[in-house]
Amino acid sequence: MNENNIMKGKAGSGLLVISGVVFLASLIFAIIQLSSQGHASFNTSSNLPWGQPIATYLYFALASSGLGLLASLPLVFGFKQYYPVAKRCIFLAFIILISGMLVLALELGNVFRMLWAIPLNFQTQSAMFWMGIFYALDLLFLLWKFRKMESGEWDSKTSKQVGIASFILVLLASGNLALIFGMMSMRPFWFDALLPIYFYFTAVTSGMAALVFFAYLAYGFKRENMSQPMQDLMTGALPKLFAALIGGTLLFIAVRAITGLYTNNPEISLVWTDYLFASPLYHLSLWVGLLLPFIIMLKSSLRNQLNMQVLASVLVFLGLFAERFYFVIGGQVVPLFKGTWYPDLLTYTPSATEWALSIMGWSLAFLLYVLGEKFFNLSAMPDAITNTAGNQQAAAS
Amino acid sequence: MAKWGMVIDLDKCTGCQACTTACAMENSTLPGETWQDVLFYHEGEYPNAQMKWLPRPCMQCESPSCVHVCPTRATYKDEEAGGIVFVDWNKCIGCKYCMIACPYGVRFYVDEKPLLEPDLREIFPGENQQLWSPPYQGPDEDWSKGIGVQPPGVVSKCTFCHHKVSKAPEGTVDLDEDNPAVKEYVPACVRTCAPKARYFGDLDEPTSQVNQLIGDKHGVRLKDHTGNKPQVYYLGAGAGVPAFQPSDKGDKS
Ligand code: SF4
Ligand code: SF4
Repeated sequence: MNENNIMKGKAGSGLLVISGVVFLASLIFAIIQLSSQGHASFNTSSNLPWGQPIATYLYFALASSGLGLLASLPLVFGFKQYYPVAKRCIFLAFIILISGMLVLALELGNVFRMLWAIPLNFQTQSAMFWMGIFYALDLLFLLWKFRKMESGEWDSKTSKQVGIASFILVLLASGNLALIFGMMSMRPFWFDALLPIYFYFTAVTSGMAALVFFAYLAYGFKRENMSQPMQDLMTGALPKLFAALIGGTLLFIAVRAITGLYTNNPEISLVWTDYLFASPLYHLSLWVGLLLPFIIMLKSSLRNQLNMQVLASVLVFLGLFAERFYFVIGGQVVPLFKGTWYPDLLTYTPSATEWALSIMGWSLAFLLYVLGEKFFNLSAMPDAITNTAGNQQAAAS
Repeated sequence: MAKWGMVIDLDKCTGCQACTTACAMENSTLPGETWQDVLFYHEGEYPNAQMKWLPRPCMQCESPSCVHVCPTRATYKDEEAGGIVFVDWNKCIGCKYCMIACPYGVRFYVDEKPLLEPDLREIFPGENQQLWSPPYQGPDEDWSKGIGVQPPGVVSKCTFCHHKVSKAPEGTVDLDEDNPAVKEYVPACVRTCAPKARYFGDLDEPTSQVNQLIGDKHGVRLKDHTGNKPQVYYLGAGAGVPAFQPSDKGDKS
């Protein structure tokens, strides 16, 4: 069914050009800003040091992990109906992680120094050290797994082992990423031993949103262009899982909000009352970005409609991006030990340069995606699955 | 080796900010890069509202969370230097995780929007890889300890004036500005404090002035629940930090 992939044709080339132009424009703009003004072109400060670029990185890293976890459904746990999306999941996980890493690189003060300073100094106490190790290995194993699939090796022993290793690395990487925030007891809004679970859940949700969107995009938003097993998946198990994931995400946010609002500790409760729930954008992201798609995916009459699925995926995409942003900023809005120099919650809106970095990340993901669709067969499946589907079709006709 | 500690007597401190100024001059810091600052707090409401203030250097914590999180060991606690926590500007990658992790808000990443106009970095543009090059600079630049003017993209913080303290004769217990023999080695903030609210000395030496004061006058460490165990102690009635309350929340009765 590969010939139905519109990314291989003119539409793909068009998208390639557009995303390439946007990518270059935002990259060049960001680099000019950074080289002329340095990080003064960010709206972050010593009081609020992590801004939207960190949130963007977090979003990408977790979406990548989410896709890796989704891929493990067929590859590790044997949910065969997910095979049609496995390869695309692995590919998307790889490119989305690359995009996130580029955003992070441009956020750091001395990016090239990182390449030697982190491995050589081996600071095992630092969660950020482990982040570097785990995500680098994660990237490597995603690539490895992809190459195995590329060579048609789905079920060989090594392929399985690489798949399992990749799954474990994804868990380690994203769980550890959560601990970067979750272990900070001086930032009580983040301090939470179960944060890794929250991250796993939301990671899979954002990965699912990316998968649904990009899978349909490849086929020009026409389901009939997809192979039969893929169509079955998109009208069967997948939308139900999507619904459950958004529901779980909402549940997580709800319990965090309830404990946050209940506590007397102003460093947590004020973040909820005076920052998150005081922001119309936060409300929008919560109700339109998560609750609405949840309702859509819950209703069996809507869940299987293509346009509803695409709508839900876009909304969840944006909703979770906002969620990451508010999570990162929310942990910092209470000024830490500043007295009346900063009498109110700190305010932060991303600068043009910071937006440029986010846009750069998104456009790079699109760019690499189109290239991937063009040069690989991302819908490839193990022969057994393709054949069964073929037989079924033959029998039906 | 000594374990350097500071004692700040809030009953004597007038909140004059002389220490803040002395620190900025000694270490060539930018406006807003307040390695040493005096924080003002108000607590309670009429009729028992109070205003309080406390000078705040880096606490040079015994269990420094900034050190634990630093992925490159750029931030490190130097027991050889009396337990001072330094930033190695040759190693710092500017990830700012230490700024997230320091409960005392004493770390600075001055590659940010200027606090004041005109921007001093434009008036004195950086030379020799410095972020900015003010005309007067201390002679003791040492990037491996974060002393001097930093390059761009790194974090800076109070060094307990290591460039002075480290020159004190071996075995010095009290760095007291009233003692002519050691006054040159006293940290700038301590030396300049007019009401003599600050004391500096060896916490490992039982007879040191700082230990005596902490013991006799009920010295406390701020935000002690963080477990960071500062090497800076506070004396006096005002030694405590009220919970955060946005300014517009008060006085609504
Ligand atoms: S006060 Fe902050 S910067 Fe200083 S040692 Fe403690 S944690 Fe580190
Ligand atoms: S900003 Fe520098 S000193 Fe701070 S944690 Fe990162 S590398 Fe270490």
